[in-house]
Amino acid sequence: MTMAPAPAPGDEGGASMPAATPGAVSPASRAGVDGRPLLRVEGLKVHFPIKEGIILERHIGDVRAVDGVTFELRKGETFGLVGESGCGKSTTGRAIVRIYRPTAGRIDFDGVDIASLEGAALRQMRRRVQMIFQDPYASLDPRMTAGSIIAEPLEIHGIGTRRERQDRIRELLPLVGLDAAYGVRYPHEFSGGQRQRIGVARALALDPDLIVADEPISALDVSIQAQILNLLQRLQGRLGLTYLFIAHDLAVVRHISDRIAVMYLGQIVEVASSRDLNTRPLHPYSVALLSAVPIPDPAVEMRRQRIILRGDVPSPAAPPSGCRFHTRCWLRERLGNPERCSAEEPVLRELESGHAVACHFAEDVAGSVEQALVTGRRVPPTAIPAGGDATGGEVFVPGDATSEVPPGTPVLPEAAPGAE
Amino acid sequence: MSLLDVRDLIVRFRTADGTIHAVNGVSFELEAGETLGLVGESGCGKSVTNLALMRLLPKPAGRIEGGQVIFDGLDLLTLSEAEMRDLRGKEIAMIFQDPMTSLNPVLTIEEQLVETIRAHRRVSKADARRRAIALLEMVGIPTPEIRLRSFPHQFSGGMRQRVMIAMALALEPKLLVADEPTTALDVTIQAQVLDLLGRLTTEGGTALILITHDLGVVAGMTQRINVMYAGYIVETAPTPELFGHPSHPYTVGLLHSIPKVTQRDDEELIPIEGRPPDMRQAPVGCPFASRCTWRLEVCWTDNPSLRPVQAGARLVTTGPEATHQIACHNPPTAEEATAGRPVRPGFRPAPAPAGRMDELVLLAEGPA
Repeated sequence: MTMAPAPAPGDEGGASMPAATPGAVSPASRAGVDGRPLLRVEGLKVHFPIKEGIILERHIGDVRAVDGVTFELRKGETFGLVGESGCGKSTTGRAIVRIYRPTAGRIDFDGVDIASLEGAALRQMRRRVQMIFQDPYASLDPRMTAGSIIAEPLEIHGIGTRRERQDRIRELLPLVGLDAAYGVRYPHEFSGGQRQRIGVARALALDPDLIVADEPISALDVSIQAQILNLLQRLQGRLGLTYLFIAHDLAVVRHISDRIAVMYLGQIVEVASSRDLNTRPLHPYSVALLSAVPIPDPAVEMRRQRIILRGDVPSPAAPPSGCRFHTRCWLRERLGNPERCSAEEPVLRELESGHAVACHFAEDVAGSVEQALVTGRRVPPTAIPAGGDATGGEVFVPGDATSEVPPGTPVLPEAAPGAE
Repeated sequence: MSLLDVRDLIVRFRTADGTIHAVNGVSFELEAGETLGLVGESGCGKSVTNLALMRLLPKPAGRIEGGQVIFDGLDLLTLSEAEMRDLRGKEIAMIFQDPMTSLNPVLTIEEQLVETIRAHRRVSKADARRRAIALLEMVGIPTPEIRLRSFPHQFSGGMRQRVMIAMALALEPKLLVADEPTTALDVTIQAQVLDLLGRLTTEGGTALILITHDLGVVAGMTQRINVMYAGYIVETAPTPELFGHPSHPYTVGLLHSIPKVTQRDDEELIPIEGRPPDMRQAPVGCPFASRCTWRLEVCWTDNPSLRPVQAGARLVTTGPEATHQIACHNPPTAEEATAGRPVRPGFRPAPAPAGRMDELVLLAEGPA
């Protein structure tokens, strides 16, 4: 046995992936992002009927899991879809690979509307769109060897001879950081992280253009998560893949994505570059979501002020009127509960270049103390709400601590919104 | 005298597959009112430690095979089952990860809360009910009189966890053990529950052991942290010290494998290669050796014990001044802890002796 060349603890897969961009992978400047849309989702709706009665089923309502979602994926980019459970992010992903049939809307993949494709045309499209699932224990058939799992997509699509498929397995295993000889083993012989690598290899088998990764690391241990994230980034650099990365963990999504859409109750409330969302979130929900992410730094955690949202996410079968977030919104409360929020549904509007938000009062979020508090800008002590930070000095939260809050920032009249 | 003193706790599971070495000699102390984090990955023994000190290990497989657990002057491991039952809930309370499986689905919240109170306190039903309403109010459940008559399934996940907190604090215990209390919850709900948990334990002077895999959660919630790996405590320090000067390769690795808010876009994460050890084998040498990039030859054969980072430092075991200790033969320097990898010129991790699997080499070899 020989040692790996040079100390390269982060160099996962080591020699197996020489073509991967060494060291730095910069999502923003990654080669291959050429701006051409690969996927355009327009007004996508996926509703699940609620039925009552056993013999005479009556349709009594719909769970509006996805309710009018529009976004675009450029070739070679990673687009993050983030939100809490029940927000429709997974349903959106599953509709794109056509596990679900959309209720309404268009899904243009490379110029073809795939929302209503059937039969051979659908199968043809699926060769180019593959999926990585959350649970590496449930998504691999325990009775198939790793090799046959990886080769199954090739068999289904009738690609290659048996020998060629064997060669492809031996090529794919090292690509995902597994020994080429592991193809004969069964899933239970692998650890969780290794299983997820098999899931990645299976998704790569057909050489797809787009990979929908639905919570690909949330079932893994912390120390293993980074292995899979790095693997995905390297594969993208090497194979020019486009990712739709779906996750609930904002820190992870922020790390891997070029652009991010934040979802709430079946709709997109904000779309921005990863950096803009991090430094200038413009939707009250995004601000709250950012503030809720625990930061592994006690100095920050002690001084930080959370926006505690009141209550739970309402049911997608009976979403609130107007803006769906209005029942929990801290900004609405501050503004004296304007009627517009509960009466009129806000549309996604581009407030800044490449930064769209669905909020009637998004202008009030820009420059608010809350926005500054969660993004790490310095806030004059006078602007800190009562009952908040007691250190007396400046409040600092990580992020891009470059800009100051402009003078004249309104002082909050009351305690932290939503705090009990 | 400290509130809780765990000494050399050893827990093993006898299973058809062999003996699982779940906890291999864990010692720590806790003062009254102190908050302690127990951090580690699944299978590191953090939950088993907690179940052992509550004497709730699954029987007959799980056995405490050594050590002492002294709580408030009592050796818990020598108490009878009846004495232990009296203690649980009243003196030590627990909150589990999944509130749905820890609440009885066929009893109303009222029945469960009142029963808990009356099992330990001689109070009338009406008084117990009044106390139950006050508790639900305290944890922020709206219209508690009405909600008292609800069944657990009628609450959302976050609300159920609030009910669990109410139940755990019903008897004003001295110690609350929360095992992954927010792992099943969404992040905005997690913020609500952590906020509540922190406020109530501080106000009531309740000591808290918070068990979690999430370093972000313990950072804001605890005064002191024990990092566990493979049934050992590998690093212990006051929270600011642990994050400021992480000194065990595993802790350093954990901190580098999660994306930081301040991380530049082009910075790659540094994962911990390999996987946690097979707990069915009694460890030879340091349990982390096969995944460690700092390892020396001695690491393969000798399991280091917990020692102060500053050699010769006076040993303080509790409170904010607790001594920073690690179990490591070759700790990373401050510079290396920041970099996430060894930076000494020419340093190579010691190769595995014959017969030992080296996860780093296995991964690095690839197809060649």
